[in-house]
Amino acid sequence: MNEFLKKLAEILELPEMKESDQLKDFPQWDSLSVLSVIAMLDANYGVNLRAADFATVNSASDLWKMVQARQRS
Amino acid sequence: MNFKFTGKRISGVQAVVPANERSFLEEMKNFDFPEARSLKLKEVMGYDKRRLVQPGVCVSDLAVFGLQNLFERGLLPPNDIDALIVCTQTPDYLLPPTSSVIQGRLKLKQDMFCLDINQACAGFVVGLIEAFMLLEQESVRKVVLINADVLSRLTSKKDRNIYPLVGDAASIAVIERAAEDEPIFASLKMDGSRGEALMIPAGGMRLPHSAETARLEDVGDHNLRAKDHLYMDGSAIFNFVQTAVPPLIEGILEAAGVSRDSLDYFLCHQPNRFMLQKLADKMKVPYSKMPNNVVERFGNNSGATIPVALISNLAERVKTGHCRVCLAGFGAGLTWAAMLLRLGRMDFCELIDYPDNQAVPV
Repeated sequence: MNEFLKKLAEILELPEMKESDQLKDFPQWDSLSVLSVIAMLDANYGVNLRAADFATVNSASDLWKMVQARQRS
Repeated sequence: MNFKFTGKRISGVQAVVPANERSFLEEMKNFDFPEARSLKLKEVMGYDKRRLVQPGVCVSDLAVFGLQNLFERGLLPPNDIDALIVCTQTPDYLLPPTSSVIQGRLKLKQDMFCLDINQACAGFVVGLIEAFMLLEQESVRKVVLINADVLSRLTSKKDRNIYPLVGDAASIAVIERAAEDEPIFASLKMDGSRGEALMIPAGGMRLPHSAETARLEDVGDHNLRAKDHLYMDGSAIFNFVQTAVPPLIEGILEAAGVSRDSLDYFLCHQPNRFMLQKLADKMKVPYSKMPNNVVERFGNNSGATIPVALISNLAERVKTGHCRVCLAGFGAGLTWAAMLLRLGRMDFCELIDYPDNQAVPV
């Protein structure tokens, strides 16, 4: 989870990211960031998400839960 | 499915790009979008300059301009053309075929085969496969393959997701028989069930053009698009490329019994720099072997991207020497295709500008 938060923070160019942070609150959370996150999840976690999958994602921990669920399935 | 060909080669490649150049950062000012993010997009994706046709310019105009140039310089005798393949998604007319339009405008011989193929980003590899199959016939000695699109004319100027990315271009490749002993391998896969990820919904018989299909609709994020316009599900396409292309290339290398390291270059379709870097990462190919500099200079020019990548990066090498390359195209259909072949001894490998003031037929 820490590693995951660090990678998310890197993409959004933030010093750090917390589990409870609401992704959509960041002005830099746009299609480029979403694509970068999709690429990061593919490269590091073997999970392939689509932009539409992010509709139900609010916080960083929501996204982490989705990644874990996809890894198990 | 896999293909194998022998005794054939590409003897010349020319790209025709409109002289009219646009700047990504300038165009992004027309959108409600922070400049800092535009700069980020430029840095990550490589979006910078692109070339667009002036209003009214069609695929046949670009192709006829390039072919006439080759005829005049004695690089391609018109009577040698036994087959003309045009790969486009933006034909001059619904009918007749654009290949026939070009044949007619250039007064080419009647004893030839004109064929349109509805393919875009995978179109160069698909067209080469078709050209090699035609060359198996005794009567076909030389094939001209044209990959051309004017997609800027079918994208919404108010759709930030696509308008600042596309470029217009035509490429012309001459394919002929040769005493080439090294076989050419190709592999092709198609999945029509995912076709909606990249489509123009209106303008065919399913949904003919009407005032309704021309109406701009709010598609979110302040972007406006009509059903007459090109639609792309960017993230779906990204995932498609990252999951489908590496195994395709692994498969063709295995079928050919060729190691990845023995190849000099991977010339892929050029959607943007980011996608190509991620593809190279996934395939463990150094960035220097997979050029990604087409989009920054010309925009994503559909089926012409692989020829433009070749011309931009390897022109001298394929005219004076040889190199072993893997070509890979992927896009509408969905279609993804790869080819292993040796390029060299080309008579020409060049890019020419289509002038802004060139007269077009009315």
